[in-house]
Amino acid sequence: MLWAMLPTSLLETLLQQLLLLDPESQARLRKLDGKRLRLTLDDVGKAITISVNQQGLWLSWFDQEPVDCAIRSRLAVLPELREAANITRLIKADMLDIEGDPMLAQALSKLFAELDIDWPEQLAMRLGDVPAQLLVQTWQRSRQWLQQQRSDQRQWLRDALIEEQQLLPSTAEFSLFRSDVQALRARIDRLERQLSGWKG
Amino acid sequence: MKSATRTPIGNSMTDKQQDTIDFGYQQVAKADKQKLVANVFQSVAQKYDLMNDLMSFGIHRLWKRYTIDCSGVRAGMRVLDIAGGTGDLTEQFARRVGASGEVVLADINDAMLAVGRDKLRNRGIVGNVRYVQANAEELPFADDSFDIITIAFGLRNVTDKQKALESMFRVLKPGGRLLVLEFSKPQPPLLSQAYDFYSFNVLPKMGQLVAGDADSYQYLAESIRMHPDQETLKSMMEQAGYAEVSYHNLTGGIVAMHRGYKF
Ligand SMILES: C[S@@+](CC[C@H](N)C(=O)[O-])C[C@H]1O[C@@H](n2cnc3c(N)ncnc32)[C@H](O)[C@@H]1O
Repeated sequence: MLWAMLPTSLLETLLQQLLLLDPESQARLRKLDGKRLRLTLDDVGKAITISVNQQGLWLSWFDQEPVDCAIRSRLAVLPELREAANITRLIKADMLDIEGDPMLAQALSKLFAELDIDWPEQLAMRLGDVPAQLLVQTWQRSRQWLQQQRSDQRQWLRDALIEEQQLLPSTAEFSLFRSDVQALRARIDRLERQLSGWKG
Repeated sequence: MKSATRTPIGNSMTDKQQDTIDFGYQQVAKADKQKLVANVFQSVAQKYDLMNDLMSFGIHRLWKRYTIDCSGVRAGMRVLDIAGGTGDLTEQFARRVGASGEVVLADINDAMLAVGRDKLRNRGIVGNVRYVQANAEELPFADDSFDIITIAFGLRNVTDKQKALESMFRVLKPGGRLLVLEFSKPQPPLLSQAYDFYSFNVLPKMGQLVAGDADSYQYLAESIRMHPDQETLKSMMEQAGYAEVSYHNLTGGIVAMHRGYKF
């Protein structure tokens, strides 16, 4: 139980650091100052409480104080919550239960979705201009390379399909072939019958 | 650590008259304990944080984190971290209560407070922390002042623990809670033996090596053994007036976190 707090602490620090990287976070946090949300995961059997203030957000597995919004769901269902359209369906299917202010969960996820971090600048501040520029260029080049690879692969597949298509028989050719096969089968049947007649 | 007049525990049983009190395994005059404890912490202040990490393999951070998580702290609250020393709990509370709240870091020892103040300022904790030199037995605060009070690894050093619990009760707001994080009695026998070996053989040597002070760490090991066990501390809290007192053992009972409310 004690050790489970280690990843939570690390996650909390990571989230705080991410928020700090965007100057706009301050204003977004101010709007949520003092708000608290609890997420109970039935399959994990635990509830995590997220408290927000102007300094950032705080996670706790042991907080039992009242909250502004309480969500009960299952770990596997969480990804579906990103789509607002799924919420009513999940509630009806008994896979989700929300008490209190439902907008709070959305506001919290927006806090991170709206993060706009100037990575080149952040890296330059930490590593110095030259290494940062090198890192950014390498990253951009690898991304370009990856994108190029992906589009090359797609192009190859498309070409292969077109070429295959040219080799494939048309519908008319195929039905002609099919009627030829049927005629052939009829002739073989006939021959077979004649043969058995001679034997008899 | 400088020593004062100390008598071995076996020789002095005048404790019945309440003239003497334990200082580790020694019995000392009641009036002397405060000074002796002050010497210990004066001597370890500079190396205190480093020693904490070394001695507990960093686990003290998780014990403290657990205490914060159980405190129910929220933006705008007033928190007292008594015997707060170098301010580990204060730092976490200050971040959580925000600008509208306040944390008082109080300690009897100015050397520990000074290390705490410098550390917190270097980490950008300013504006919502007040530093007060105070004795837990006679807190210099008005009645009903705090939403939360914590005393972490401090109570066993206090001369009159019952008086300190009562003093904290007085300054707690109705509805507020006290959290006591303290070394306690390890539950599994094997753990208890290993822990004894570690405390009396490894700890003082580590103290000598890192802080150049074996005596203080010998005192640490002894004072832990002399501290009331889980159930005794629980009933002491109830006697002081706290309601719904409960405790939770951490790391097999090496440490326990007691919680009680003032209603
Ligand atoms: C082991 S340290 C704990 C510091 C801090 N709470 C922590 O957990 O890291 C114990 C502290 O208790 C303080 N202390 C001892 N007796 C005290 C008393 N009667 N009133 C207030 N503080 C006291 C010491 O000065 C010392 O800083």
